[in-house]
Amino acid sequence: MLALLAGAELIVRVFYQSSMSGRFEYGYSPTAGFVENADGTVNLVHIGGRHFWPQTFAMPRPPGMFRVMVIGNSVPRGPSLATSYPAQIGDQLRALGIQAESFNLAIGGNGSLRSEIILRQALNYQPSLVILHVDNADEYEDEREYARAQAFKSWHPKNWLMKSLFLRRLYEAKTEEVFWKWVPAEVRVLADVNDYGNKTLAGENPATRREWADRVRRYTAESVALARARGVPVLLLTGAREHDDGHGGFYLDDRGLDTLVQPLLGDGVYFLSMKDILQKTDFVPLYSDGTHLHPPGQAIIADAVVKKLLAEKIISPGR
Amino acid sequence: MSFISWQYALFLPAMVLLYWQLPWRGRIFLLLAASYFFYGMWDARFLALLLTTTVVDFFGALAIAGQRQSTAKITGIGLLPLAWLSGCSLLYSSHASIEKWILVAAAVFPLVYAALYQWLWRLPVARQRRAFLILSLGSNLVALGFFKYFNFFAASLEAWLARLGWNAGWTLPHVILPIGISFYTFQSISYAVDVYRGIARPSHDFFTFAAFVSFFPQLVSGPIERRNDLLPQLEKPAQFEIADVHRGLRLILMGLFKKIFVADNCALLANYAFDPKTHLNGPWALLGVLAFAFQIYGDFSGYTDIARGSARLLGIHLNRNFNFPYFAASPSDFWRRWHITLSFWFRDYVYIPLGGNREGRVKTFRNLWITMLLAGLWHGANWTFVMWGGYYAALLTLYHATPGLRRLAEPEKNPRGRLMAGAVLMFAFTLIGWAIFRCKNLEQLAGWFAAFGNWDPTVDWIKPFYWWLFHVVPLLLLQLASWKSRDEVEFAHFPWPWRGLIYTLLVLLAASSVAPDVEFIYFQF
Repeated sequence: MLALLAGAELIVRVFYQSSMSGRFEYGYSPTAGFVENADGTVNLVHIGGRHFWPQTFAMPRPPGMFRVMVIGNSVPRGPSLATSYPAQIGDQLRALGIQAESFNLAIGGNGSLRSEIILRQALNYQPSLVILHVDNADEYEDEREYARAQAFKSWHPKNWLMKSLFLRRLYEAKTEEVFWKWVPAEVRVLADVNDYGNKTLAGENPATRREWADRVRRYTAESVALARARGVPVLLLTGAREHDDGHGGFYLDDRGLDTLVQPLLGDGVYFLSMKDILQKTDFVPLYSDGTHLHPPGQAIIADAVVKKLLAEKIISPGR
Repeated sequence: MSFISWQYALFLPAMVLLYWQLPWRGRIFLLLAASYFFYGMWDARFLALLLTTTVVDFFGALAIAGQRQSTAKITGIGLLPLAWLSGCSLLYSSHASIEKWILVAAAVFPLVYAALYQWLWRLPVARQRRAFLILSLGSNLVALGFFKYFNFFAASLEAWLARLGWNAGWTLPHVILPIGISFYTFQSISYAVDVYRGIARPSHDFFTFAAFVSFFPQLVSGPIERRNDLLPQLEKPAQFEIADVHRGLRLILMGLFKKIFVADNCALLANYAFDPKTHLNGPWALLGVLAFAFQIYGDFSGYTDIARGSARLLGIHLNRNFNFPYFAASPSDFWRRWHITLSFWFRDYVYIPLGGNREGRVKTFRNLWITMLLAGLWHGANWTFVMWGGYYAALLTLYHATPGLRRLAEPEKNPRGRLMAGAVLMFAFTLIGWAIFRCKNLEQLAGWFAAFGNWDPTVDWIKPFYWWLFHVVPLLLLQLASWKSRDEVEFAHFPWPWRGLIYTLLVLLAASSVAPDVEFIYFQF
């Protein structure tokens, strides 16, 4: 038995080590999900804790190409790649005769720190514009997963089993190929119910909300600084949620995000508010659950972004 | 400290390595220290309770055997709980408080006990043995009754009074249930009764006896050991046998597989199906109870395997607790295969003393019902557990009273086809029993039954069924593979390459499912 296990471990370490890098860093790996190919292309892949929509782009940006990269959480990730607002931005730019491509680097559950890590890598691929979807809904998961990623790197005895690449790959294969596919979301959610409860409780604590706001402020400022240092314009797009006002109506709430990002604006940093965009519309049917948008809602956001880019002269039709 | 924790993975090898370096006396002290450390990792304060019942039973059994001890000795050893609690209150004052009245009770205990002990010696000889037995049984049952059932009966009484229109307005104290209390009190009770019956002699060494009561592999969830099975193994030095190491490791591996791969993954489906907020339908009611059946089996038998394996590494043999229970052909066959040490305990210390089946049919059924209701209540402070016990009493009565079914109680007298049909029927009955066991209250149980009238699919059940199959089929294949040896973990009749492959697969399957800690179910009993 020991010989079989040792043999399997050897095979994995010799032949599969590179393809497994970053899998167990829970989205905190700098490079996980970005697969750079020998032909000069980059594949965005679903790997471990980084669930990119599958996309491919050329590693040096083609000359004349306006490359947009959108980074954020499940809101810009959208119900599908094609209907998400990042993809629709690309469609609308091309419809204006602009040689453009737009990539969706958003991942559900990503908070401000994980967004910064993705942005850091994305800047290596010469974006013409980065759209950073700013939200504070996922800071609980971000903190929790960061602690888990740090703990996993340690040589604490509870991690010894998963230091084996073979066992780690086996665990991941079962989780991704069996658990995620055979156990419905309703059942999986219940398995995490204690964490849902913890998140809800944390969100009701004013001190925790202030901590989350500080977190968002800090990591968004760092992201902006990184982009500025590379000369890449940034559009900060703040999220908004729909709430019941208790009198049969609904209102939009930006949860302080619009105010939070104001000090970062200027010098290549622009701002759009989802609340301002959707307030002008009949927004109720645009939301699927008060947080996420149906495809028509995504289209409205894309439209607003393109208008902003035109207004700020970041792009011009036919360029 | 859980058996599937990294702490235990370090604790056990260190224990085993040190154990075999020591002479016999050193091993006893090591076992005692390790067992108390193991238990204390949960809540060190409750070691005082364990010490108290150990003191009472140690001196009680000696008295039952007619051996009087001095007041000084009783008082000296009786002060151990106070010493322990005092140490806890000094070292852990910020972590877990100890009420002053508990410290006072611990201080008074040795004085009261010693006085009572000496007073009982003044009774007529004919009554002394019985008096000491009652003292020993009473102290164990009072401890068990208070910590486990006080809140339940008080809340039930309050609810009943409220229905009569009287608001009791009590403020009930929060009584913590010490883990393992149901197991170690029963083990101590069997010790005292066996000494009383003259089929066992009392231990003369307090530390060996304390190691018997607190032996860490079986302290928290059994098997419930008898004095004549475990104590002789502690009273003489075990010989190191490499075969014991092999067997112990096999048992531990099997236990980890059952707990991590089978039980914890089936728990996902069972927890969803039995969650009060779930809108249950027929497929999920069935899938949920199937999942729970294998969750509780994998959990409990897995725990027992790890307990037996751990003990085996120390050269100590613990009794088997499971023997292919889902292949049982009748309820009485089931109780000879499920939690064997508990069912035999109730047989020997409740059913038989009540008269067993020796006093006619009516009294046999009466004794059966009392025994099974108590067995149900033992599992927890909830009326659904009592109902579960009553359900099995009804099944046993039905099988006893029905000629066609009665024969299935003796499997060896039936052809294979009949046994298989009986096993299928009994498994169906077992599933209904598990539904009663798992539901939190009667309303939820009624909802479970009602769900079978609704077969509209809301949440997909077909893929979860594959999930269940994925985790249960390997277990069933293993059981079929070990059927020939009539031992759930024995594959000795397989050639060694096949055994190696089986063990490798067990490791891989368990490692593929390493998940957040899910506590062993029987810890709550």
